[in-house]
Amino acid sequence: MKLFSSYNRILLVISFTGLTIIGILFYKTLSYYLDNQIDNGLMEELMEVKDFTHSKNILPAPDIYQDLVIQYKKIASVRNASVFDDTVYYNPKKQRKEAARYLKTDISLGHKAYQVLIICSKVHRDEEIRIIGLIICIPFLLFLIVLYWVNSVLINRLWAPFRKLLVNIKSFNLNHEQSFERVPTNIEEFRELSKAIEDLSFKVRSDYKEIKLFTENASHEMMTPLAVINSKLDTMLQSTHLGPDESETLIDLYKATSKLTKLNQSLLLLVKIDNNLMMDTEEVAVMDMVKEKLDFFNELIQKRNLKIQLYLDPVNITASRQLLDILINNLFSNAIRHNHNGGLIKIKLTGMSLTFSNTGDSGVLREEMIFERFYKNPASEGTGLGLAILKQICNRQDYKLSYSYENHMHIFTVSFI
Amino acid sequence: MKVLIIEDEESLQRSIQQYLNAEGGICDCCSTFDSAYQKLSIYNYDCILLDLTLPDGEGLELLRYLKKLNKTDGVLIISARDAIDQRIEGLQLGADDYLVKPFHLSELNARIMAIVRRRNFAGKNLVVFREIEIDLNARQVKINGQILYLTRKEFDLLLYFIANNGKVISKAAAATHIWGDDADMADSFDFIYTHIKNMRKKLTDAGSKDYFHSIYGIGYKFADS
Repeated sequence: MKLFSSYNRILLVISFTGLTIIGILFYKTLSYYLDNQIDNGLMEELMEVKDFTHSKNILPAPDIYQDLVIQYKKIASVRNASVFDDTVYYNPKKQRKEAARYLKTDISLGHKAYQVLIICSKVHRDEEIRIIGLIICIPFLLFLIVLYWVNSVLINRLWAPFRKLLVNIKSFNLNHEQSFERVPTNIEEFRELSKAIEDLSFKVRSDYKEIKLFTENASHEMMTPLAVINSKLDTMLQSTHLGPDESETLIDLYKATSKLTKLNQSLLLLVKIDNNLMMDTEEVAVMDMVKEKLDFFNELIQKRNLKIQLYLDPVNITASRQLLDILINNLFSNAIRHNHNGGLIKIKLTGMSLTFSNTGDSGVLREEMIFERFYKNPASEGTGLGLAILKQICNRQDYKLSYSYENHMHIFTVSFI
Repeated sequence: MKVLIIEDEESLQRSIQQYLNAEGGICDCCSTFDSAYQKLSIYNYDCILLDLTLPDGEGLELLRYLKKLNKTDGVLIISARDAIDQRIEGLQLGADDYLVKPFHLSELNARIMAIVRRRNFAGKNLVVFREIEIDLNARQVKINGQILYLTRKEFDLLLYFIANNGKVISKAAAATHIWGDDADMADSFDFIYTHIKNMRKKLTDAGSKDYFHSIYGIGYKFADS
């Protein structure tokens, strides 16, 4: 739930409960007050009746006015009690039933006792309550609506820097050059937040840079010792005392050295892509590039009896030739390496995307894992960096790289758009 | 053939020297900027191997100095850094080639041979080994005067072996020569075997002697013995 709706929900519940409670109290008080007034009126009527009987010594004629009815009834004896209460009576003038208040009391005339019943209609009093209620309720509701509107505008405006901050945080990417953008605002909390995030982003960036620099330097420093190992192996190879056992050892050493070299080169390549060192873009004919690579890997493909199906459109895209070369290279070597003998590789190139599908021994792979560095099949001879490099290149070039598994084929798609 | 090795890692220097000396070359070695500077001022070389990061100076400075002296010695840069900018700058300053560490000595040797060949036989670019004649400009192989058709990779491989004749070349080195950094494929070593088998057959069918000698499954030697 958004902050605003949450805030509004609370506000609405409180104001409606408050309004209801106040309304009930108000109604009760007003009713009590108005009933009192009517009762006073009834008392006055009674006084008049008593005055009349005292002076004239007869009962006044039973009267029916607009809202007032006076009736007499002969009773046995006078009880000293007056009763005020609510009732409903039939108003003969208006010919309908109305809510009313009555006063019932006994008076004595000579030696006779009479019960006097004075009924007064409450229609006017109800009307008054309704009007007073409306006069209070309508402005109050209007006030609530205005409050709601002002709140929404105000909250929107107040939280605008926060939302901008959120957008900036979301768009912050270590791989991109632009630093975190500070959000100008007068609100101190947001200013502090913005400042804190900015500092954090600087720290993250500089730490990341340091790690990259370390990787780069470490890899470079390892190249010379590797060159020494390689040259010593080459020298040993020239020895005339080389037997089968020594050769076996040398083969393993060559393999390990070559793997270490490849690993180092891949790490350096990742750093280079990260550092934007290969971003000279130009128009590249992708189809020709794929065909060149196919020729390059031709023998390896034939050796494993792989079938190749090509669906290539003549597509030109603007990109870094070097990166694209590595991209296609890695797609190829991935499709060849993880294939089984006699398998199939499908390559499809359109203006939108480049897709490599290959058969393979393993079932569906976990997409969220395969592009991680050093994630690989334990049986694989590779460095575990091939797909990570692929991913990094796609990030750099703003391509989308995706993996799926259909009809026993691993499908890697690079979407250019 | 006179070669100057400017390299601060002495064990690497020794290996290179040993390998090239066996080819009948004469190698001078120096491991500092100053000693290299002095040697360059006095002597001429067929090829200079230049490491760009020296303890007391920048290798590219030596290249500038060489240019100032108007010397035409061949220069092969050997560097641990595979930076495009540095490569371009080096080549612009007159270096002939750029080799990134680590490398195989056979690769280094083949590159040196290519540089020396280009310098010495301007125009006509022929490599001859017994009855095998390779025209580098036309990329053509003749056996006893008869043209032999080889694929691009076979051609490169043959030239590589001839440049390193008498030396054992590991399958790893041969694979790297053909596929560069992508030679790490599990099958690539086996493939070198098939490749050389095919080439041997083509060569002997064309009337050449079989010069390839297999060494315990680790590599091959191209030699007339």
